[in-house]
Amino acid sequence: MSVRRVAVLFATVMVVGAACNAAAPTPTATPAPVATATAAPAGCVVGVSWNNYQEERWAKWDEPALKAAIEAGGGTYISNDAASSEETQASNIENLQTQGAQVLVVLAQNTSAVLPSVDAAIDAGIPVIAYDRLIESPRVLYTSFNNVEVGRMIAREIFALVPSGNYVIIKGNGADANSDFLRGGMEEIIGAAVTAGDINIVGETYTDNWTPSLAQTEMENFLTAANNDVQAVLSENDGMAGGVVAALEAQGLAGDVPVGGQDGDLAALNRVALGTQVVSVWKDARLLGDATGKAAIALCSDPDPSHVAGTATFHTPGDNDVAGILLDPLPVTKDNLSAVLDAGWITEEVLCQGVAAGTVTGCP
Amino acid sequence: MTLASQPAPETPAAPSTTPGDNRVPLVEMRDIRVSFGGVHAVDGVSIDLYPGEVMGLVGGNGAGKSTLMRVLSGAHVADSGQILIDGQAVTIHNPRDAKAQAIETIYQTLALADNLDAPANIFLGREKCTKTGALDDGAMESETRQILGRLNPRFKNFKTAVKSLSGGQRQSVAIGRAIYFNARILIMDEPTAALGPAETAQVRELITQLQSEGIGIFLISHDIHDVFDLADRISVMLHGKMVGTVNKQDVTTDEVLAMIIMGKLPGEITRKDLAELHH
Amino acid sequence: MTQAGAPTIGLRDRFRSIEIDTRLLGMFGVLAVIWIGFHIMSNGNFITPRNLWNLSVQSASIGIMATGMVLIIVSRNIDLSVGAQLGFVGYTMAMLQTVWIPISLGMGLDQPFTWILTVVFGLAVGALIGLIQGFVVAYGGVPSFIVTLGGLLVWRGLIFQYAQGQTLAPLDSTFRLLGGGPAGSIGEVGSWAIGLVAIAGIIYTLFANRRRRRRYGFVFRPKWAELALGVIGTLAVLAAVWVVNSYGWPEQLAHDLYDRLGLPWPPGGVFLPVGIAYPVIIMLAVGLLMTYLTTRRRFGRNVFAIGGNPDAAVLSGINVRRTIMLTFGLMGVLAAISAVVQTARLNAAVTGLGVSNELDVISAAVIGGTSLSGGIGTIPGAILGAVVMQSLRSGMVILKFDSPVQDIVVGIVLVTAVGFDALLRRRST
Repeated sequence: MSVRRVAVLFATVMVVGAACNAAAPTPTATPAPVATATAAPAGCVVGVSWNNYQEERWAKWDEPALKAAIEAGGGTYISNDAASSEETQASNIENLQTQGAQVLVVLAQNTSAVLPSVDAAIDAGIPVIAYDRLIESPRVLYTSFNNVEVGRMIAREIFALVPSGNYVIIKGNGADANSDFLRGGMEEIIGAAVTAGDINIVGETYTDNWTPSLAQTEMENFLTAANNDVQAVLSENDGMAGGVVAALEAQGLAGDVPVGGQDGDLAALNRVALGTQVVSVWKDARLLGDATGKAAIALCSDPDPSHVAGTATFHTPGDNDVAGILLDPLPVTKDNLSAVLDAGWITEEVLCQGVAAGTVTGCP
Repeated sequence: MTLASQPAPETPAAPSTTPGDNRVPLVEMRDIRVSFGGVHAVDGVSIDLYPGEVMGLVGGNGAGKSTLMRVLSGAHVADSGQILIDGQAVTIHNPRDAKAQAIETIYQTLALADNLDAPANIFLGREKCTKTGALDDGAMESETRQILGRLNPRFKNFKTAVKSLSGGQRQSVAIGRAIYFNARILIMDEPTAALGPAETAQVRELITQLQSEGIGIFLISHDIHDVFDLADRISVMLHGKMVGTVNKQDVTTDEVLAMIIMGKLPGEITRKDLAELHH
Repeated sequence: MTQAGAPTIGLRDRFRSIEIDTRLLGMFGVLAVIWIGFHIMSNGNFITPRNLWNLSVQSASIGIMATGMVLIIVSRNIDLSVGAQLGFVGYTMAMLQTVWIPISLGMGLDQPFTWILTVVFGLAVGALIGLIQGFVVAYGGVPSFIVTLGGLLVWRGLIFQYAQGQTLAPLDSTFRLLGGGPAGSIGEVGSWAIGLVAIAGIIYTLFANRRRRRRYGFVFRPKWAELALGVIGTLAVLAAVWVVNSYGWPEQLAHDLYDRLGLPWPPGGVFLPVGIAYPVIIMLAVGLLMTYLTTRRRFGRNVFAIGGNPDAAVLSGINVRRTIMLTFGLMGVLAAISAVVQTARLNAAVTGLGVSNELDVISAAVIGGTSLSGGIGTIPGAILGAVVMQSLRSGMVILKFDSPVQDIVVGIVLVTAVGFDALLRRRST
């Protein structure tokens, strides 16, 4: 029972909602009424299409940084949310253009389904930034963390602890290119050991919409099938890692079986401090938001993605060469928890909840 | 044992009557009005009923007779007008109010919950419960067996949904429900419409028996012969208005037909009208 | 009275004469086929105490809600918002135990009263949500499809708006036991005790029914049938308890427990039976209560009457509106109970909690024999429907089928089950 059907239901109302939000900067009005205090009146309108707010990051971290960078550059930030629906995202992208967006930032729900809308925008002379998730078009600017590297980092930490044994791999949504990037990065680290027979993958599955409770059920069933003979788990994000750890806890294996994830979720960082998760690869979303905001302002005056500062050519799985800005993430383990504390990403209280005193550096 | 163990009325089996005698009517409906949208379905109609009397209520389609009776059974609230039971004004806003006044109705559609069995239907909305408040299915089935056994000795399926019963059996359930609860006033809307000759005869017998127990009966029917056989008085409605009420022994079927079709009282009918009627 | 219809013809009629639900029997058959099929295909990995125990816990949340969905659907309504209700209640309950009580009230984590306060609060919120929706359906005259579709958007939207994607974890340590796990189970002795109570219940019910029918002089079941029912029921209960008691605490957990209790760890290890998990006990209790409510109480009878013929229900004096509103209120409470189970089990509240659960719940009710045209449905059927669905999903995960394939199979099973059922019903009448 796919979540998509529910998403379609959402879409109906969200489209209406988006249209209402459009009231503020209308195409006929002078753009950038908000930014007039700090910047030139002819500022750049940047339209952002979010795919959803379900993961613990977009609204909380990416959006403020992105917005701040755009406004600092004299632009205006407008946005809408597609609530996990490809259809809604397509109309959302059109809506942003109607609202006068001169540059589009798109967090794609679906790597390929978004293409027609993106192509139409570019044909209309509006440059598009593929935010965090790749869009398979040579004409976009791709800004993201190096997701293949994220996969490598998760696998690297786990592989260092468990060079041989039975692995379970919990992948994210099948329609999300990141699932495969991450998996590709993992393969680079453990592939040789798998071929050599040192590592045996006893369970691997995609998980509809990265749902944690589904990941929990999957993990329970993998543990049952392998009779608990599992030595390591690679989870493609922290939410699902939470489900995995819950399943391991029920077998008394939490803390003994290394689990890796990514996103720097607060609950996951707490698990890292507690020792039930080995690594959470942290992509400081604020850096990405900031870099993307700056790139958007640059595209406003020069729509050629390759002219934006800091780009490098990125070869995509779909055989396209795109201009990309790829930031390096940070693997957070028990040894460098101070990094997330110092950045103000998490409070000590949340990070160290339930941690025995004096066992973890960074916690009291 | 009587069918409905209602205390014997003061004047049993005395199908009278000239309207306006001194007895208090069992039911009196005064100046009832009901309109749907702009249409006056019932337009200032008054009618009365005495104990032990069968009042035939006739009229063409859309004459308003069913709507009038729905007001009495609480299925519909009148826009204006008064209802008196035993000479006392009462308020009937819903079927519960009507049942509290011992008014029971057998609807043309039977109004059965097809998915439930006979006992559940007979006691629908008035279930028998044990001390703990649980349904007392045993008691309800037992009572149902008694009441239906008398109405229809061949009735056997007490545990199956009434959906799978025959038309006659379903009718028995609907009738059983109406008479079980000691009705004083019974409204029967086309009670024989869906029945075969044998079953129709049974219903007629039942009506006569109920009447002898002092129950007042409103009988709505299309079949003028039915009405003539069973009713003591006949009220005729046309286009939402009351044409008139007549004693059965004072009129011919032709005269009643003229009332139904032309809205003319027996005294007003001309020879020409009669000829037209038979045409 | 003499025995009616002595020369019985069909098997179906015979079952009817001893008052056995052939449909339910058929579902047990289907479940057996599924289990045996997966057992063979997974090389003996399916019908194991551990997997059956897992299955029971994994089915609990959907099973609990499916019992309420039966009443909703029977009364010719639908509730599309149960997943969103679950998410909303789950999230507020998590807020209560991770933020409001420990931080806002400054009382700290893991207070002994936290879990019960949370549960009571959650049930109240669930009831309120359900009653609001029920009120709009019953008194506002808005179709339930629309009201609950709106509800789905509203409750889910409120979570997204309010939570901003934040996962709330970990939860109160006592509360977590309600989600199952070896520590969240009743253990060996408790399981046998429940089993014995259940057996006593079965025997009492059989006797009470017989006595009642004799008192009124009705036909009653032949003795062999009563005996067979009693024996089968007893054996089923014993088998179920035996299975959950054959699943032992995972060694590591048992070891930890011994350490915590300060007991020496025996050299050969130790076998601690897990027993029935709390979520399963909750589901069974809910199932019993709901069965009682639907078959033995006026409320349930009225719901079925409304579904069978809404006009007749009104004319017979049933307060249809109030009854409908209450079914939705009840559904809200059940969604809240499932929210307790799901959040406790995951030890976290995530914003995606309960997403698409409405589809699973409706499917479970429908596979369990609830008719979407109203008036027909049973509680045990719905719970069995939930178990059938979860068996399919779990089995396919064990066989390493990916999620799209699972969706396809469950979809086909859903349509086939309903189609087959419709065919049988047409034949039987």
